[in-house]
Amino acid sequence: MDAVEKANTARQKRWVKDRKVGEGTYAVVYQGREASTSRKVAIKKIKVGQFKDGLDMSAIREVKYLRELHHQNVIELLDVFSSKTNLNLVLEFLDSDLEMIIQDRSLVFLPADIKAWMAMTLRGLEFCHRNFMLHRDLKPNNLLIASDGQLKIADFGLARDFADPGHKMTCQVITRWYRPPELLFGCRYYSSAVDIWSVGCIFAELMLRTPYLPGESDMDQLKTIFRALGTPTEEDWPGHTKLPDYVPVGQFPRTPLRDLFTAASGDTLNLLSRFLVYEPRRRINARDALNHAYFFALPHPSHPSKLPKPAAQTSRPLEELDGNVDMAGAGPGVKAAAPNKLKRKLTSPDGTDLRPLARRLDFTQHAKHS
Amino acid sequence: MATDFWASSHYKRWIVDRGTLKESRSDDLQYVDDPEYLDFFAIFFANVITKLGKKLNFRQRVIATAIVFFRRFYIKNSYCETDPFIVIAACCYVAGKAEESPVHIKNMVAEARLFFSQQPYGVKYFPSDNSKLAEMEFYLVADLECDLTVFHPYRTLLSICKKESSNDLQTEAGEVGVGVDDGPRYWGSGDGQLELPDDAFQLAWSIVNDTYRSDLCLLYPPHLLAITALYLAVVLHGPTRELLQQQSHSVEATPVHSSPRRSSRQSSSTSLGHAKKPSQDFVAFFADLNISMPLVATIAQEIISLYTLWERYLEDSDLVDSARGTFYGHASAQTQSGGSHSGVSTPVESLDDAQKPHGATPTFLLQVLTRMRENKLSDMAHASSGRPVAVNKMLERTQAAG
Repeated sequence: MDAVEKANTARQKRWVKDRKVGEGTYAVVYQGREASTSRKVAIKKIKVGQFKDGLDMSAIREVKYLRELHHQNVIELLDVFSSKTNLNLVLEFLDSDLEMIIQDRSLVFLPADIKAWMAMTLRGLEFCHRNFMLHRDLKPNNLLIASDGQLKIADFGLARDFADPGHKMTCQVITRWYRPPELLFGCRYYSSAVDIWSVGCIFAELMLRTPYLPGESDMDQLKTIFRALGTPTEEDWPGHTKLPDYVPVGQFPRTPLRDLFTAASGDTLNLLSRFLVYEPRRRINARDALNHAYFFALPHPSHPSKLPKPAAQTSRPLEELDGNVDMAGAGPGVKAAAPNKLKRKLTSPDGTDLRPLARRLDFTQHAKHS
Repeated sequence: MATDFWASSHYKRWIVDRGTLKESRSDDLQYVDDPEYLDFFAIFFANVITKLGKKLNFRQRVIATAIVFFRRFYIKNSYCETDPFIVIAACCYVAGKAEESPVHIKNMVAEARLFFSQQPYGVKYFPSDNSKLAEMEFYLVADLECDLTVFHPYRTLLSICKKESSNDLQTEAGEVGVGVDDGPRYWGSGDGQLELPDDAFQLAWSIVNDTYRSDLCLLYPPHLLAITALYLAVVLHGPTRELLQQQSHSVEATPVHSSPRRSSRQSSSTSLGHAKKPSQDFVAFFADLNISMPLVATIAQEIISLYTLWERYLEDSDLVDSARGTFYGHASAQTQSGGSHSGVSTPVESLDDAQKPHGATPTFLLQVLTRMRENKLSDMAHASSGRPVAVNKMLERTQAAG
């Protein structure tokens, strides 16, 4: 056994897999622990299978970025080891996510709680953007919550760097409800502003306790956005009619945010409106958002340990979970139970699974666009 | 990728010292007749990756990443225990994915098979089965410890010389209001820029390309390689060198005259406070950089010795992106003009002597490689040879894969 393998075996022995907790497109997730300390971890076993098609692009991206990014509000990749024919990523264990919390109607959110979640999200995102990295799949489901209440951005399967501004990127990213209009219009040269739009949608969702812009198709998504925020004029968003996939989707008047967010403070609405600016260049960036008056006004953000948490999850038997696997939630975060999707379905009455799966791009598309 | 270099896996885990490099070759050294062949391997395989990368329409950056993966892999493995060709294919395949230019595994296998079967490689055994490449990919990623973010000198080069193509970008993009941020955060504040003529910049770029033919990318941080490339370019490029000579003449009359090549110590000592000229004072520019000039000088020497070695490597010279020709034009000119004290130029002179057989061709290197592998294999079969018998899993793996 050579030195390289010895080192790998040593790393492998450090971690123990306990039980399977979920399965996604390219990975099986186990709950496990560190052998010496019994600290809980999630072990994500990347399926290499019969070596048919090579490693999944999402797996490559996720590993690539998590190896570099270390921040309190970004999920931590603790270790990587290989076993037989599998790559294993050891991630910190996070038992819930923001989607579960939003949907748990027994929880009451105070404005200070929302402020705390927003601050943590923006801190993590600012860190990513400072490091020239786009997340491209922000949604409540990918914002995981640690047992101490800290929020961690997870699932970097669609992430990429934007260090080369001239490089064409695919617009088939970000789960539809959180996707900004420029991507819906087929824009191939975009920036960190795409993630900021998603943050705006999450902010609104935290206040409404239901998705803010739940479009049923890409076309309907644009309509939903314009219905909520008014159809952009050339002045609002210069040049948008020249974007590759531009189609007029009808004229809707601008309605004041105040009409929907009746209880929100002036600062809150101002920040929300700056997240949801049509023109990407004018959209607020993560750093400026953190310096926005909203975060300095009373009430101060709740301490993470004081944030509402879902009632202790009784872990369901695996079979039940397997029948209800959420492919989109195959991120590194491990949830003790599959998210309850019934409530989501109330908002999409036709019963089909409307959760758009931006991550399932076919390979040829990557080759062409990204 | 542009995360903080000092916090990156590249800096923390993949900048190694010469000792480590030497140790990583210890197994190969047992089986190779002349240690120098291993340096030729470095050139040879980098060329193979470059050519294969061009066939796949990879950008320079993707090719560079593939070469760095290859070098990192061989820190942990030896040539005689692996099949470099399948490793090369896997490096290109993973680099394509890591740099967002993925190639489908089928195309990758087909391209690699076709390319390697041609002369001078004549590799007939490259597996047509996707799964072999996928398997090698897995070993590669595991040995890379999943550190797939690689920093390259190109970015430093661009930001120092302000050659960023933000104008091209606009026209190429053809999309208005897309929110591409091209502010100071991306390209620096504009201070401390080096104004280089385009062809001098191109020369520096080519020198950077050439550094990948050696282990320099494992030894030094990329920004130092970029600055060294600029330093060499300024000295080697005709017009900038004249400028440099004029400047130094005006600064101190006599001592510089004899040797056009300035040592780094001279540059830092003479330059301060003499930036009155309308054209930029290059010496002052380098002196003002907050880096160790002796280190830059060391790297410059290493690059020069790479060219010296490379000059003896004989291959069809279809590599247009290399600065080798320019370099040699100058090097010989300088030798004639009489810098006999400069130790660098002596190997070039020795070429004129009857020492040419020390050169290497791809065909020859392939024979060397085959011999190394055969010897290694027979050693493993006959443990009585007295050599340490390391039964290595990697060999089994790669044999299975290739």
